[in-house]
Amino acid sequence: MRLPRFDYFGPDTLDAALELLATHKEEAKILAGGTDLLVRMKKGLLNPKVLISLKALNGLSYIKKDDEGIKIGARTPLADIISSDLIQIQATALSQACEKIGAVTLQHYRGTIGGNILQDNRCHHYNQSKFHRSGRQACHKEGGKICYARDESDRCNSTCQSDGATALMALGAKIILASAGHERTVDLENFYTTDGIMPFAMEPHELLKEIFIPFQGGQSAYHRLAFRSAIDYPIVCAGVLLTPSLTQKDEIEGARIVVGAMGRSPLFLAGESAGLKGKKFTDFAAFQTAADAAMNSAATFAVHNVGGTLEYRRAMVSPMVFRALKEAAQAADR
Amino acid sequence: MEKIEITLTINDKLREVSVAPNDTLLEVLREKFDLTGSKESCGEGVCGSCTIQMDGKPVRSCLTLALEADGCRIKTVEGLANGDQLSDLQESFINHGAVQCGFCTPGMLISADALLQNNPKPDEKTVRKTLAGNICRCTGYAKIVDAVCHTGNPDNQCPDCKTGQ
Repeated sequence: MRLPRFDYFGPDTLDAALELLATHKEEAKILAGGTDLLVRMKKGLLNPKVLISLKALNGLSYIKKDDEGIKIGARTPLADIISSDLIQIQATALSQACEKIGAVTLQHYRGTIGGNILQDNRCHHYNQSKFHRSGRQACHKEGGKICYARDESDRCNSTCQSDGATALMALGAKIILASAGHERTVDLENFYTTDGIMPFAMEPHELLKEIFIPFQGGQSAYHRLAFRSAIDYPIVCAGVLLTPSLTQKDEIEGARIVVGAMGRSPLFLAGESAGLKGKKFTDFAAFQTAADAAMNSAATFAVHNVGGTLEYRRAMVSPMVFRALKEAAQAADR
Repeated sequence: MEKIEITLTINDKLREVSVAPNDTLLEVLREKFDLTGSKESCGEGVCGSCTIQMDGKPVRSCLTLALEADGCRIKTVEGLANGDQLSDLQESFINHGAVQCGFCTPGMLISADALLQNNPKPDEKTVRKTLAGNICRCTGYAKIVDAVCHTGNPDNQCPDCKTGQ
């Protein structure tokens, strides 16, 4: 498959990249690893006039730690995150999630954490060849007025299948968006629109610069279900964070349960998370209750569009959340 | 859309070439340098038959722009053998019957070679994990995994292997 034509820029500094982005806006796309972007371009889902490569911006590739948390440059390759002891210990869920993205030879060296967060939502009616799509009317995501995944839906129901974003949301991560002369920090859970066509609440002239994971104590874990252990996107995934009480070490003070690959964004389930406060780390019955409640909440968002039957995907939310909770609790108990 | 000059070190030889922005590294290797060992199958990074090494790391050449590889060291399957002398890994593939139709083989060899450089004696689990991004529709993987494991651990007993006979 040939790539469509475009102009290529490889700026040497972040400022130059932001300047280019400000000039070209919607017509430009940022090229980091290219493992998602170039596939979409080859399929004709995207046709940017300009690609701005981050190749020369080595300054965007780092993993640092300060008193408040871990800072990860958006262009950091997944391989660096997987091999980082700091992330493995302090942000276990992220390490587990990155390890499961794609395959070693496929994503880990070229693919970046920023690219994983910003990978476009997917739907098996939309992510198809030009030929396949030419046989029917355009769907919402392609600019039409039809949704093939849910009858009579007035909007796009494409699914966010990012492993990294699910884990990072569980870890309470923030992201830093840079634009020419300006920077803003957003909680990852507030970064999503509820629109499958443009799932991210970011402007065309903004660039994802850094991911910040605050230290909250406690343990995190990530579990996912996919057809194959490598290459495939998850059809259900769950990331959790459990923090112990300062006074009672065996008691849960705060919990964050996030379910991914079920909706237009990873779903932070505030009610189910709050229900775990005050429970013991060994209270598996409470985890099961929370996992079942998470399943009921998340199930309403899912549509039949990423493979697997809908019933199966909905039913699998509970085991994924339960396993993640159990693993995090056992790690905290140690 | 202007052509841009880039420099690549392909299989230890310094080469210069002018490429268009939308040329992938795979297209440049195959069409400009006639290095047709790397194959295009899916073209979207799923199958692994286009795997090459860029600065020692296995990557998909079909999803890498040639411009992004400017100044990098590239190793393709053609760079594994020393003249007519096949590498140990290649010999092992032959001895184990790890090649059937052969279309996935260049990608398998390059992924395995990258692993063996960092981890000369990998266990089976590591080999399977590393080759998880390369799809083979013929062999069922068992012989490929045996071949890679045996390259790293030549003293192991291996019932299927013809090495040393």
